[in-house]
Amino acid sequence: MPEVLTPETPTQQSTFTVALIGNPNVGKTTIFNSLTGLRQKVGNYPGVTVDKRFANIKLGKQEATILDLPGTYSIYPNSEDEVIVHRVLNGLDKENKPDFVLAVVDMSSMERGLFLVTQIMDLGLPMAIVLNMEDSAEEQGIKVKTHALYKSLGVPIIQSNARSNKGINGISELIEKKMFEKPQPFLNIQELLPESLSIAIQEKFHLKNTYQAYQLIRFHENEPLLDEGQREWLENQMDSSGFNIKQIQLDETQHRYEGIQTVLDKAVEKTDLGRKRLTDKLDSIFLHKIGGYAIFLGILLVIFQSVFAWSAVPMDLIDGFFASLSSSIAKLLPAGVLTNLITEGIIPGIGGVVIFIPQIALLFAFLGILEDTGYMSRVVFLMDRIMRPFGLNGKSVVPLISGIACAIPGIMATRNIGNWKDRLITIMVTPLMSCSARLPVYVILIGIAVPESYIGPFNLQAIALLGMYLLGIVAVLFTSWILKLILNFKEKSYLMVEMPLYRLPRWKDVLITMYSKSKTFVFAAGKVILTISVILWVLASYGPSSAREEAIANIEVPSNDAPQEVQDDYQSQLASAELESSYIGIMGKFIEPAIKPLGYDWKIGIALITSFAAREVFVSTIATLYSVGTDVEDELTIQQKLESEIKPETGEKVFNLATAFSLIVFYAFAMQCMSTLAVVYRETKGWKWPIIQTVYMTALAYVSAWVVYQILS
Amino acid sequence: MSTADKIEQGKMAVIESITPSELSLHLMEMGFLPGKRISLLQRAPLKDPLAFKLENTVIALRKSEANLINVKLEN
Ligand SMILES: Nc1nc2c(ncn2[C@@H]2O[C@H](COP(=O)(O)OP(=O)(O)O)[C@@H](O)[C@H]2O)c(=O)[nH]1
Ligand SMILES: [Mg+2]
Repeated sequence: MPEVLTPETPTQQSTFTVALIGNPNVGKTTIFNSLTGLRQKVGNYPGVTVDKRFANIKLGKQEATILDLPGTYSIYPNSEDEVIVHRVLNGLDKENKPDFVLAVVDMSSMERGLFLVTQIMDLGLPMAIVLNMEDSAEEQGIKVKTHALYKSLGVPIIQSNARSNKGINGISELIEKKMFEKPQPFLNIQELLPESLSIAIQEKFHLKNTYQAYQLIRFHENEPLLDEGQREWLENQMDSSGFNIKQIQLDETQHRYEGIQTVLDKAVEKTDLGRKRLTDKLDSIFLHKIGGYAIFLGILLVIFQSVFAWSAVPMDLIDGFFASLSSSIAKLLPAGVLTNLITEGIIPGIGGVVIFIPQIALLFAFLGILEDTGYMSRVVFLMDRIMRPFGLNGKSVVPLISGIACAIPGIMATRNIGNWKDRLITIMVTPLMSCSARLPVYVILIGIAVPESYIGPFNLQAIALLGMYLLGIVAVLFTSWILKLILNFKEKSYLMVEMPLYRLPRWKDVLITMYSKSKTFVFAAGKVILTISVILWVLASYGPSSAREEAIANIEVPSNDAPQEVQDDYQSQLASAELESSYIGIMGKFIEPAIKPLGYDWKIGIALITSFAAREVFVSTIATLYSVGTDVEDELTIQQKLESEIKPETGEKVFNLATAFSLIVFYAFAMQCMSTLAVVYRETKGWKWPIIQTVYMTALAYVSAWVVYQILS
Repeated sequence: MSTADKIEQGKMAVIESITPSELSLHLMEMGFLPGKRISLLQRAPLKDPLAFKLENTVIALRKSEANLINVKLEN
């Protein structure tokens, strides 16, 4: 019994749910933010509101839940993103049954907005319409007679300019007073659906009207409340009355647009201002044959240059601060286990997290600006043809670029790729992009392996960093090309993207993005890193006592009057013997044979083990490992410490060029992120793809690291 | 009769029909309907995709999709 088709259950409680629905880029999220005060990322390319977001707000004595839904052009889903909207609207999502719908329409593109609005009207949900972007409609010579529109639609209408907060008060008043109205169906469905069929369906499923019967037919394939028998009955009915669903859908679309045209003829006045839009002029620059790509490349270069160069000063300060904090606390507190835990475990652990805030904040600021200005969808346009031979799609560029920040939002952003094969390939390769968690590893290792000199205006280290990002891109293209050859799906790939107007970025939102992303990083990644740091310190400080005694016994104890160098030498031999015989030393030793061909010793082995949960743990692991047993009072920073580390047997540097590069390459390709695996599992609905991905990436990492080490050493 | 991928840059055309295919519903939902005027705003540097202006919005389509839109070219 498809009760889902009558979602308008009356609510007596003082809490109610309002869903914001509309085409992409009409200002839903902006309105949501102003209503809820909960500021968050506001994007400009189709699909940035990937998951539904909601907030509870107080309005007078009542409480309302506002849902911000992904943009869609129709209630009949074409992509995973639009499925969310479909489910919410039809009450299939048990937790998010909206009582009211607030449909947001871009006033300068009413026709397409009303297409969706009239579909919702036909569903019979109580609703109201917000005509947003008043300002840009005015600029384009478009005027709407709200009253005439109200008369033909029968739904309350409010005009707004969400960017400058105009009309927001009206909207929240409308919500508070629940001035939503349940409209008459817009479309005369009788014209499309044979009467006998409609009556038969209504009787069988106890439906109220023709439109619900029609909805049932349109959604019957993925309607979970129908059983097999009912579905078959429906299909038989359709067959016997010669009903062609595909044709009817096309007819419905056409009818609907015709109806809308009639409404708009009465309610909208257009004066052609004869101006060439600024956006069109800008497009002739940004989408230029050669210039367009040059600008895109230039933008990427500026991003990396600044992520590397601008963040150097604050990072040095942070690094120095934590080093001196450790040593002054070591002086202040009495010597003992607790002091050691703090100065050798916890403080370096926290420092290892905090130090990357400048870079993460900068990267997210740049990505935020690119989205907010509307440039991202131009990138889709520029890159589509280039990505296609690799089995990707212009829309894959957005997830991949987000993957530079973090694979998780990137993978989630694939939901607006309508085609499953393109989407799956994008999901599989996005973790190969160099995410911000790899950045710490790159920065440290490049700092060791590459001299700090300049070629022209460019820092050699910055070029090396750019090289690492390019390497990630090469791996992405190579892997997707292979996947394209292997995967065999029939579905046809397509691209339909709206290119919004260029807009100035809202600096406040950019700052908020920087702040909230850094906070998320510190608290989410920070917790893992800190926990692992402490565990590591324990594992590195203790071990089976027999092994420890054995290791120490072999070291010759110098006499008390031996010279200072001999004393020092003894101390450091002792420290490294203790570390080697600790629990973690034993684990590292265990995997050493497997990683020796890559140029790694057992300490690096430990870092590899701990990085499986999250790769950014590398730095703090290394920091903990190398400060354990060394005197904290000589304020060496992490990088200096690594550089001075030598192999006890041969006296060579541990982090020589070959090892450093081999390690960089390993980190570039290996799947070392539990959270990414969890998201891939969710998005592909099973363990098959995440497992394939892990095996593939680890193998790729191992082989490439081996090749690099063999070539360089 | 011609198809939308053959419109010259900056020129207008009127949509006559949409060739039936899996994508026709999606195209029509986006507003590509018989009777509408479209113009070709930009061709991507590698000649594909194409950016069409439809009413007040710009929509990018691949050549193969634009080929499904039958149009009458205007001069
Ligand atoms: N000019 C103008 N821009 C707006 C208005 N409302 C939102 N925007 C901008 O339109 C873009 C898309 O807004 P967003 O809220 O992300 O749209 P959504 O995709 O519907 O959630 C952002 O750059 C907003 O700043 C408005 O009323 N006027
Ligand atoms: Mg949004």
